Amino acid sequence: MKKLLSVIALMLVCVFLFAACGDSTQTTSDPVKTEDKKTEATDAPAVEEAKTIVYWSMWEPTEKQGIVIQKAVDAYMADTGNVVDVQFKGRTGQREGLQPALDGGMVIDLFDEDVDRVNGTWSAYLMDLEALSAANDYEATGNDALIAASRDAAGGTLMSIPYQPFVFAFAYNKDIFTEAGVTSSPKTWDEFLDACAKIKAAGYAPLTCDDAYMTAWYGYALARFVGQDGVTDVVTNGKWAEEPAVLKMAQQYEELATLGYISENLPSNVWPMGQNGEFALGEVGMYINGTWLPNEVNAIAGPDFKWGFFNYPAVPDGVDGVEAANFGAQCLAINKDSLVSEEAFEIIKYITKGEFDTMLANESMGIPVDSANAEWPVQLAEAKVVFENLTKRYSWAANAEANVDMTPLLKENFIKLCAGQMTAQEFVDAMEAGS
Amino acid sequence: MKKKNRFMIIVFLTPALIMFFAIFIYPIIRTLIMSAYNVPHVTADVSTWTFVGIDNFKKLLSVNLFRTSLWNLLRIWLFGGLGVMSIALLFAVIINSGIRFRSFFKAVIYMPNIVSAVALATMWLQYVFNNRFGLFTTFFQKVGWETMANIAWLSPEMKFTSLLIAYSFGMVGYHMLIFSSGIERIPKEMYEASTIDGASKPRQFTTITWPLIKGVLKTNIIMWSISSVGFFVWSQLFSTVTADQQTITPMVYLYLQTFGAGNTITERNAGLGAAVGVLLTIFVVVVFIVTNFVIKNDDLEY
Repeated sequence: MKKLLSVIALMLVCVFLFAACGDSTQTTSDPVKTEDKKTEATDAPAVEEAKTIVYWSMWEPTEKQGIVIQKAVDAYMADTGNVVDVQFKGRTGQREGLQPALDGGMVIDLFDEDVDRVNGTWSAYLMDLEALSAANDYEATGNDALIAASRDAAGGTLMSIPYQPFVFAFAYNKDIFTEAGVTSSPKTWDEFLDACAKIKAAGYAPLTCDDAYMTAWYGYALARFVGQDGVTDVVTNGKWAEEPAVLKMAQQYEELATLGYISENLPSNVWPMGQNGEFALGEVGMYINGTWLPNEVNAIAGPDFKWGFFNYPAVPDGVDGVEAANFGAQCLAINKDSLVSEEAFEIIKYITKGEFDTMLANESMGIPVDSANAEWPVQLAEAKVVFENLTKRYSWAANAEANVDMTPLLKENFIKLCAGQMTAQEFVDAMEAGS
Repeated sequence: MKKKNRFMIIVFLTPALIMFFAIFIYPIIRTLIMSAYNVPHVTADVSTWTFVGIDNFKKLLSVNLFRTSLWNLLRIWLFGGLGVMSIALLFAVIINSGIRFRSFFKAVIYMPNIVSAVALATMWLQYVFNNRFGLFTTFFQKVGWETMANIAWLSPEMKFTSLLIAYSFGMVGYHMLIFSSGIERIPKEMYEASTIDGASKPRQFTTITWPLIKGVLKTNIIMWSISSVGFFVWSQLFSTVTADQQTITPMVYLYLQTFGAGNTITERNAGLGAAVGVLLTIFVVVVFIVTNFVIKNDDLEY
């Protein structure tokens, strides 16, 4: 008898063990009972036919984007009676966790991240959205440039829907520009130098940056000379000495440092010290960053801060000018194995169209993607001009970070170059030696 | 009776053994195997793996950035270790020397361990090391030490030192507690007898405390080695978005290879990441063996 009890005990232990380790996911196409789910759709129609859509979001639930997305999802649930299981993973959680979860067979119907990551790294998991987009006439009020970028990133097919777009450009303090007598934003390198000289003469440091964006800045600077493909060639094939533009570009920054146009605090600016400190406090004229900057520093800069944006200027003998920039968006994609793709696409429409697109833009000081929402937040008025003039897209940092083994060295040496601790030739030599 | 016992042992050990194999043994074996393959991403199907033999290890040792990360790890382990162990031992001796408010001081020194590393790093980065209004800058300005006041603590030249100071600050309490537990076990009579014999406090330390806590020192060195090898969070906090020459460690390199770097889509190879893991394991095992060899177990120790 005791032996029997022991065997039963052993079996129970094993059952509990494997039950605890087992797959807790469920098939989303199955109708679910509303009482088993957390839903606010108290008066929702067709309760017994409600479906569950699992959405992994890259935002935190407490940041503005997360809050607005939750509102859009709540509205969707109230209108349809379906249940949306939104899981806010944050950037790191999404980047680390999504692919293993999908590989492990977890049901995730909808997810989002950067346009290149979604369409590149996670391309194997994406559903072709061409048919759904056509059926919903989605592109009638879509942002053409962003949808084209999304198609381009996926090799020509629409596999994801862009939202929360950004442009990477010089943000500037309009009051400082006005005080210094800079009447128009620079479009060429000479105009840029002239603006820097006037700002310096007015008693401000013209330029600053944080360590986190130094390689993005470098990518822009070199891409103006050789284009994005040229930057990729230099960083991945180690052509630091072979490509003459590397030295030319470094000489430009040696000159900026020598003339005192770059803040002396730059070498110590560990993100977000530069953006939250000297730039937001109105001590520096320009800071190169994405259009998310006003949202990030608004609490420090205050409502009186007058925001301006201009694209990285064209350089002498360069191949690209102000028609090229790094712009992109976060993208919503549907799992190719999802059984609730139509419902997931409907959620995408809630987030990226009409009321919630406007709310998302206003709350996060971001750019709307619904072409019917023509108004951009006032802080981004000039970013709109930059965006509308773009015909060429760079990837992040114009691919200056494409070689993971070189990025830290590039970052350190570019900081030293900007701080005047290194000459242009020493910069080239150091990069060549390290490659 | 013996048979019954054996059966019960099996009943109670089986779940633990299954968990042990699933959580420890299987990942170790899988990591070892992965280190000999090119693996597109950490959960990639085995059919997508490409056998490369020892090429991952060869590549690691030929990459400047990985060598830099090893050098940083060595510096953290050696210089940080010497600093942390010395201060922790000093505090442990002082705290056990019969001072008043012993528990209070012990709690204060240990406190950084219960504060999140993110909060601590933010304090150091945004306040202590800030070269405009930071603690160090204003303090040295007030005492008139201009050379120190002008140090840019977070510049590329000083970033490693700053990182080491910040990290070590948080680790002293933990190792002090381990030393303290060893010292507490030494019978008070020994100190009383030596005091009667006229031994000074330094003499008591060198002839009683130090010889009797060698086992604890060994534990501390191994614990420090394990935490140094896992050095990751502080490095990430001191260099957000993109890695940094001065703060990169092998764990950060492993992460870059396994999950990709920053905002650019870079090539991933979880096999290379696994090879980093294997090398780090070897490092800890070597430290363990060397420590056991150098610090011999005595007959009497606490």
